[in-house]
Amino acid sequence: MSTARADKRLYRWIDERYGVSPLIEFLRHKEVPLGAHPLFWYFLGGTTLFFFAVQIVSGVLLLVYYQPGENTSYESIRYITTKVPFGWLVRSVHCWSAHLMIVSLVVHMLSTMMLKAYRPPRELTWLTGFLLFNLALGFGFSGYLLPWNELAFFATAVGTDSVKSVPVVGNWLLQVMRGGPDVTINTVYRFFALHICILPILTVGLITVHLIFIQRQGMAPPIAKHVAPRGMRFFPNFALRDLLWWILCLAALLVLALLLPYGPGIPGVEWELGQKADPLAPAYPGIKPEWYFLWIYQLLKEFPPHLFGLEGPQVCLAVVSLLMTTWALVPWLDRKARRDEPSPAFTDFGVGAMLFITFLMLKAWDIGAGAVADGGFPDPAAVARPCAWILLAVAVAVTAVRIAVYRDRWFVFSGAAVLHAVLHGLVGLPYLAAGAIAAAAAALATGFTVARGRTSAMPAGGGH
Amino acid sequence: MPAQAKDLFNDAIDNELLNEASQLRELLSLALSPSKLELLMRDNCVLCHTDPEAQDPETLFWTDPEAVGSPPHLNLREVVRDVHFRRGLSCSGCHGGTPTDEDMADEIYDRWPEAPERHADRTWIPDFCARCHSDPAFMRRFDPSLATDQYAKYRESLHGKLLLEQADSKAAQCVSCHGVHGIRDSKSPRSPVHPRNVPYTCGACHADADYMKGYKDAAGDPLPTNQLEEFETSVHGRALLERGDTGAPACNDCHGNHAAMPPEIASIGQVCRTCHSGNGELFEGSKHKKAFERNGWPECEKCHGNHAIARTDDSMLNEKSNPLCYECHRENAEDNPDCIRTAEYFYASISTLATEQKSLAEQVHQLAEKGLDVEPLAATVDDMEDTLRQSRSLIHAFDRSEFEKIEKRGHEAARQGWEQVEAAEGEYRFRLTGLRVAIGFMILLSVALYLKIREMEART
Repeated sequence: MSTARADKRLYRWIDERYGVSPLIEFLRHKEVPLGAHPLFWYFLGGTTLFFFAVQIVSGVLLLVYYQPGENTSYESIRYITTKVPFGWLVRSVHCWSAHLMIVSLVVHMLSTMMLKAYRPPRELTWLTGFLLFNLALGFGFSGYLLPWNELAFFATAVGTDSVKSVPVVGNWLLQVMRGGPDVTINTVYRFFALHICILPILTVGLITVHLIFIQRQGMAPPIAKHVAPRGMRFFPNFALRDLLWWILCLAALLVLALLLPYGPGIPGVEWELGQKADPLAPAYPGIKPEWYFLWIYQLLKEFPPHLFGLEGPQVCLAVVSLLMTTWALVPWLDRKARRDEPSPAFTDFGVGAMLFITFLMLKAWDIGAGAVADGGFPDPAAVARPCAWILLAVAVAVTAVRIAVYRDRWFVFSGAAVLHAVLHGLVGLPYLAAGAIAAAAAALATGFTVARGRTSAMPAGGGH
Repeated sequence: MPAQAKDLFNDAIDNELLNEASQLRELLSLALSPSKLELLMRDNCVLCHTDPEAQDPETLFWTDPEAVGSPPHLNLREVVRDVHFRRGLSCSGCHGGTPTDEDMADEIYDRWPEAPERHADRTWIPDFCARCHSDPAFMRRFDPSLATDQYAKYRESLHGKLLLEQADSKAAQCVSCHGVHGIRDSKSPRSPVHPRNVPYTCGACHADADYMKGYKDAAGDPLPTNQLEEFETSVHGRALLERGDTGAPACNDCHGNHAAMPPEIASIGQVCRTCHSGNGELFEGSKHKKAFERNGWPECEKCHGNHAIARTDDSMLNEKSNPLCYECHRENAEDNPDCIRTAEYFYASISTLATEQKSLAEQVHQLAEKGLDVEPLAATVDDMEDTLRQSRSLIHAFDRSEFEKIEKRGHEAARQGWEQVEAAEGEYRFRLTGLRVAIGFMILLSVALYLKIREMEART
């Protein structure tokens, strides 16, 4: 009884000084919409935030021992993993959590795309989320080089080299990124500053803005046509579920960090320290970037050195930029969702984009290449065939679920992605030719669908 | 085309030495540097002998001799890559006359025997080459580092004796190994005397049973012709011919080149010691040395063979896989059973160390995959590798005393290695226990939270 009274007195003391009552009142009334979608989709933003928090904590612990420098970057990471008590655990958790954060972020973004949570008035929430996604990729890219090992060195050399393709300022940008014409320890200093200072400040700022938007507007309810939402109190009902889920995530993180300390052994998801970087050593074959950059890496390989009078990588960069810009502008492009109507075309755009990226990733992993001689390269046709079959199987499964569960009937973009993979992998057309045919087919089908939609929407008697 | 080169071609046309379009095409197709082109274009021998109208196929130089029916040695492309031509010596350097002669000088006919005669009798060749190559003052002008004792050595070689004393023109002379008109520096990978080509150059005669018919060794037995075949499968042959390791010996490294002769029994061990000096020294102080001398056995060859030397492995000491030591000892050292026991001891010790080293190396891999610190263990494995290498060498002393010291070091390293494995496994067990405790705590917390949520929502 006396404890409760003391609590009340403390609360009143704080409230008199800082006016927290409106905030408590706000939290008491905050709700998570229920009814149309499984609750799971609302956990993903929090999951990403949880992994980001793990990154901050583990990153600060690594900072205690990590020293960037020609003779210290690699050595200090080696020291952390071999000599510092629990240093191995901190590094392994940092690496696993980084990948899981990106996975969670991608799924969060896709769920937002599929549920059309970006529609007004939440366009800027989507945009800040998209920017956070780019910052996360920046974290991945800058952090990869810090151990100054062989794999990181060559992957960064290849990765930064693609910046050259940016028109006009490409070479200047390359020099700025590398701190000179080549990847050297100067690049490590830059990436270190970016990784531990610039990106965290930007990310924390943007997360704050993203969260303020969400708190001001609440979580997006399902599109009007769906079941009318009920609500679950955010605090404590949803917050406790969040906490429960985070504990399970932490448990999974610890299990992975201990049982697979260097990652699952898939190219692009591994962080064994290996040999120290040697700028004079020849690059070895099979260097691949981290998994979330694999699709861009593979797309670059698909382009010839010259195309339409431009350099191949420049055209590739333009394609990637176009895709990313379209993705960022989806809230403004999706006019149906803006009217609170279902927009199956954009659902399919999301699925099609994922299939397009998946096919490139499968190819980048050289799936089906079999044994390749040392220093050799796998036969591209032998790789494309099984990748196309896998993509076909994935697409069939996804489409079946979409038809059976979500009653989707619009498959133009996903169909184009499958046609692309089939024409390239199974028919044997070059990747770009197959892509051009698939894009033309998608444009025709979209035009036909839009025209038919307009005709059927027209009043029967010609109208006024 | 540079102005100077144009002038050279114009001069040749004016002097009626360049008459045919095909001749011009041949010369231009050589794509020579200005200095080489000048050397070629100022040589009337070349100009005249590349004119298809003026020459018969037997004397016509062409870039593709087969196409015009010329003999292979009249390949113009080879001539301009010849080491002599590259240093400024052209046709007249060997054949006589001068590059400016407009007709064949008498000296050429005097110096060179008629074709049938010079092809049947090759005894004149070494002396002919030696005119320059045995003259230090002359050779200094071109390559001061080149030896000038080749002819002196050749005269003492078996090839030289056959050719010069017995007038056997089948015996190898300068041209047989170095070629003609396309002679390359021995460092050139295309030279027939480059280390990687030497086995095939020697094999051109020595692996030809018909060619070698009638030749006998010192014991009067026919010379074998399987040396090349054996060498190709040997540890030396595979290193040299498959891996391109020019540190591995070719025929001439053991037999000599200009002074080529089979190493006698007494010198075989010395030949091997050129590279394997450590093992040679150990053998030198061993009991075997005296026994081998007494019986007149070749040292290394007795156990390792010669042209077909196989990669050595520990099974050479094992009676079951290789009865070499045992058969020899039973036959020649009946009264010394300790010899057999020593061989058995060597085999058992080395096998044990090798097995331990392999097991520990596997542990390094397995423990590293678990994210454990394997640096100390990897250093121990390297130490064991070093110990093994030394112990394998020390058996050439055929004595236990030194071997035992190394063996003891190996066992000590193995013991230390297993302690390190045990420590690493202990660390991993500690990690797993920590994980179990942490997961258990988290599960408890999760269950408590779940019950709290249920209870809270049941209330409302």
